[in-house]
Amino acid sequence: MTKYVAKRILMSALTLLAITFVLFVLIRIMPGDPFPVERMSAEMILQKREELGLNKPILEQFVNYMSMLLSGSFGNGTSLYNGAPIKPILTACLINSFKIGVLSILFGTAVGLAIGIVAALNRGKFLDGLCTLVSILGVCIPSYVFMIFLQYFFSYKIPFFPYFFDPSNFLMSSIMPALSLSLFAISTIARFTRNEMLEVINSDYVKLAEAKGLYGFELIRKHVLRNALIPIVTVIAPLVVSLLTGAMVIEKIYGINGVGKLMVDAIAGQGVDYNYVLALSIVFSAMYIAAMLVLDILYGIIDPRVRLTKKEG
Amino acid sequence: MKKIFMAVLLLVTMIFTGCGGGSDSAGDGKLSVMLGSNVVSLDSANATDVASFEVIADCIDGLMQLDSEGKAIPALAESYDVSEDGKTYTFHLREAKWANGDPVTADDFVFAWRRHCQKAEEYSYIMGNTVACVKNADAVIKGADPMTLGVSAPDAKTFVVELDAPVPFFPSLMTFATFYPINEKFYNSLEEGSYGTSPETFLSNGAFVLESYIPGTANIKLKKNDSYWNAAQISLDKWEYQIVSSSDNALTSFKNGTLSLVGIGGNQVEHVKKDAELSKNLQTFPSGILQYLSFNQDPKNHHAGALSNVNLRLAISNAIDRESLVENYIMSGAKATYTAVPVEFAPNAETGKFFSEDQKKFSDVVGFNVDKAQNFLKKAQSELGKENFELNLIYSNDGDSATKVVQAIKSQVEENLPGVTIKLQPMPKAEYLSNLTSNNYDLALTDWKPDYDDPMTFFTLWTTSGCEIAEHWSNADYDKIISDCTTGALASDYSARWNALYDAEKILLDNAVIAPLCTDYSAVLISPSVTGIDFHVAGVDRVFKNVKLK
Amino acid sequence: MYKPEPDDFEFISDRDITVDTNFASQGYWKSVAVHFLKNRFAVTGLVLVAVIIVFAVFAPLVSSYGYQEIISVTDSVGKEITAKSLSPQFGGGDSQNLFSDRTFLFGTDDMGRDLWTRTWQGARVSLIIAFVAIFIDMLIGMSYGLISGFFGGTVDNILQRFIEIIGSIPTLVIISILAIFMEKGIGLVIVSLLITEWIPMSKIARAECLKLKEREYVLASRTLGAGSFHIIFKQILPNTMGPIITQVMFSIPVAIFTEAFLSFVGVGIVLPQCSIGSLIEAGFNNVTILPYQILPPICVLAILMLGFNLIGDGIREALSPKLEDM
Repeated sequence: MTKYVAKRILMSALTLLAITFVLFVLIRIMPGDPFPVERMSAEMILQKREELGLNKPILEQFVNYMSMLLSGSFGNGTSLYNGAPIKPILTACLINSFKIGVLSILFGTAVGLAIGIVAALNRGKFLDGLCTLVSILGVCIPSYVFMIFLQYFFSYKIPFFPYFFDPSNFLMSSIMPALSLSLFAISTIARFTRNEMLEVINSDYVKLAEAKGLYGFELIRKHVLRNALIPIVTVIAPLVVSLLTGAMVIEKIYGINGVGKLMVDAIAGQGVDYNYVLALSIVFSAMYIAAMLVLDILYGIIDPRVRLTKKEG
Repeated sequence: MKKIFMAVLLLVTMIFTGCGGGSDSAGDGKLSVMLGSNVVSLDSANATDVASFEVIADCIDGLMQLDSEGKAIPALAESYDVSEDGKTYTFHLREAKWANGDPVTADDFVFAWRRHCQKAEEYSYIMGNTVACVKNADAVIKGADPMTLGVSAPDAKTFVVELDAPVPFFPSLMTFATFYPINEKFYNSLEEGSYGTSPETFLSNGAFVLESYIPGTANIKLKKNDSYWNAAQISLDKWEYQIVSSSDNALTSFKNGTLSLVGIGGNQVEHVKKDAELSKNLQTFPSGILQYLSFNQDPKNHHAGALSNVNLRLAISNAIDRESLVENYIMSGAKATYTAVPVEFAPNAETGKFFSEDQKKFSDVVGFNVDKAQNFLKKAQSELGKENFELNLIYSNDGDSATKVVQAIKSQVEENLPGVTIKLQPMPKAEYLSNLTSNNYDLALTDWKPDYDDPMTFFTLWTTSGCEIAEHWSNADYDKIISDCTTGALASDYSARWNALYDAEKILLDNAVIAPLCTDYSAVLISPSVTGIDFHVAGVDRVFKNVKLK
Repeated sequence: MYKPEPDDFEFISDRDITVDTNFASQGYWKSVAVHFLKNRFAVTGLVLVAVIIVFAVFAPLVSSYGYQEIISVTDSVGKEITAKSLSPQFGGGDSQNLFSDRTFLFGTDDMGRDLWTRTWQGARVSLIIAFVAIFIDMLIGMSYGLISGFFGGTVDNILQRFIEIIGSIPTLVIISILAIFMEKGIGLVIVSLLITEWIPMSKIARAECLKLKEREYVLASRTLGAGSFHIIFKQILPNTMGPIITQVMFSIPVAIFTEAFLSFVGVGIVLPQCSIGSLIEAGFNNVTILPYQILPPICVLAILMLGFNLIGDGIREALSPKLEDM
């Protein structure tokens, strides 16, 4: 097992390196200079490009960038938060996004599980239909549209929540964005739970347990839930990543300085800030790869057959 | 199961410890101001945007400041002397302190100015020979020794600037953030690049100090600076900025009292006008922003064969109904403009009349006249031997109003000029700028915000050597007038310079280098409990020093 | 030793075989269809999607306004007035109000264009984008997944690393770079959907392939000398169709959603063209003062989402009838 995990981690590290290179090259060909040029003369632009090392061969630039990364720095902004080091800003944004992401995942998982379990236990009955409908409705409306309505009703019509995100009042002001973000999680988890539960309920060993005389809550708790819930972990891991990166519009509407907003600002701002786009892309990719890694390892623990086939391969 | 539950509970408490606290509702007795965009940097050398300049000006005083009329009055400089030839300014500084107790000295200015030139960021150009003409500034920007810059500090309270040419508006330039001082000792005590990234790494000498700020935050809190030299005049204790990106959010947050000063878009203005109560709070101010169409005359461009024809340019310029544009689509009080300099901008120092007071001055070439436009088009068609023109119109898609303006232009031009079709190409600002500088467009919707209160801030845009955002147009007569007016013979003769600029404008518009569209006005809602906010056209947009709360 | 005689054999078809007509063996797809049509939710979904498609196809054709047309009338003093920001009206109004005799079922937008026409035109564009993108995604993803799963080993490893690299690049970065090489608009949105959406499809195909390739019938045809490509496309592919089609049904709403998101951040459809996403984006700027502008595109989006998800659920259940037997 240790060997498998070690091999998998090494593989992920190599993939990350490859991704960093691909991103580096791609971002260098993005249109626009990485700094605002509106008031610069052609000479000044050339001078600035020279200063930022953009005239060097791309491989040399990449090596320089990697050595900067390895020394624990993402460099400085060139158009977005011009001149200031990226790392502390990125960290602050990540923490904000992470907090809201965790809140929405917790809420989404709790509600999603409840809906999924109720639906599976009442299969084919009215409650099942209702739960299915609720879980589908979650994917029908974009989260930002839901956010607009929440903001309109619960901080404008009824001023209960702060109208804009307020870091000094974190809990109150993160409820609405977390709620709207969790819609997608609720429906994904609810559907997945329902299907897993049904599969387990239909399995031979549950039938055997039933035959032994177990029934009702005891049966569900001991045999069904435990076996149905393990695979659900595998849906949650990628969901966390998508929530962290997928909140761009909500962050913009509600004034949250999170990574999504940072990404949009870095790409669509005054200049394409290469350093920010790179740093964010690398962080996003790293999270994605880490989620995949965790998943693979979890699969390995849950289902030893995966490990075996991997070894053969 | 229980364990998992406990763990989750623990996680939640861990995430939110230290957070909480009651929410205080805004409204009366509090000032919270909307910012339309992010603050790029509080380092005056790196700042490139209106929002940054405004926040810097809240916290740092320069040599001069703008009064409520928009005139430059002394701030840190108690007085100043100008030499006979207008090329040397000597500023006498008043007793003022930085917020950490250090006195403000002339060396702080020398340090900041040298640093700005040496860093050669976007706004360094303002030190150079098109604007402030500080001696050797252009050389330092290109990499010469910053010590050669024409600034010096004979003693702690005297700051001397040498210029290459007399600049009639030099004192009013001193209100601009690029010319503000930075405390050298404080700056050097900080880690590289960390200046202006938090309240701890930013030093005020102005009316307010930062209370909470990090780059990228949507909420900036400020409080009164008790060691400000004019602290007795400041009645505002605490206030804040909130960054709001949607005009609709701005309106609702004003309605429910979250914000006390917001800027709103055209649809919101229409809505507010219908509401008797709300419309009392509505005010519009000239923003000095000129929106115009740039025609790309670069012969290398694939459509340029067509656009280098003056009649085609004139045809398009005369096919646009500017009044309908501002009335039906922009709606936030913008005014149709038929001159190369926006309306209500750059008053003449002698007569007090705005530069573009007479909007009919160039009505023979700029206007809305379908017959005339079609005649121009016919001429262009016969001269070019082409019937149909397909033109790309690029624009930066970061504003709601730009999107509507280009759609209206497309529909008007295509209707009034059969044979001309316009293809809209929205893009992010960076890409848009790079297309402009590389002459990769046919038409571009451009807007230009004046940096200082003089028509020259517009005229330097169209010189051959000037700014990189060019129409690829070059005219020796025009260049000569502009260089005469900046560094040449006319620089010291105010009224001759003024009249020469009209000649330059005539060359510009006769050749239809651009098609001016409108001057933007900012429509704002101000809570009745707030008075004393000063709005300015150039430099610092809004000043909050005189604000009083009821 | 016995020598076979011709008479020993007879044609089997000459025999009288009784065919069980009560329990005739159903084709696989027929049984799926029957199961699907029994499902109330699935049929509802089908009807919803069909209604939207009918409107998207025919409403712009029969509308009296063009979707790009800025509607204006001349008022009593001869001034041209634009019909901007009119709330929904059904015609037959008094002649005092200039526009009140016109019909604008969904009202007009702030440029003075008919929202009824634009909504259905937008639905049409969004549906075209989704169908084209997902169909091509299906082809790419399926082939990729099948090849990866079938050959396994090093091939699989390399192909999966490639997916990891592509999949982890943020969509916004991909589309910004694509925008250099392509003109903005429908094409760009489709291509960026192509780049991101085939990945889940290929994962499903790969998983199915891993399961199926060890089956006896595959082994049998391999023993008989079938080549890899014959096995992949003739033996395995047909049996992966079920899960793939389910995935397609769930991908279409994702594609419509992504289009809406791209338009929202300003890299989608170019105005005055429209899509559901660009209409929502336009309405969002005035949501509290002109709410009727954002409602039609949101409702159409929600109905499409609901419809496709219900259909997807229905197909999934119909494909695994063992759940039915509970």
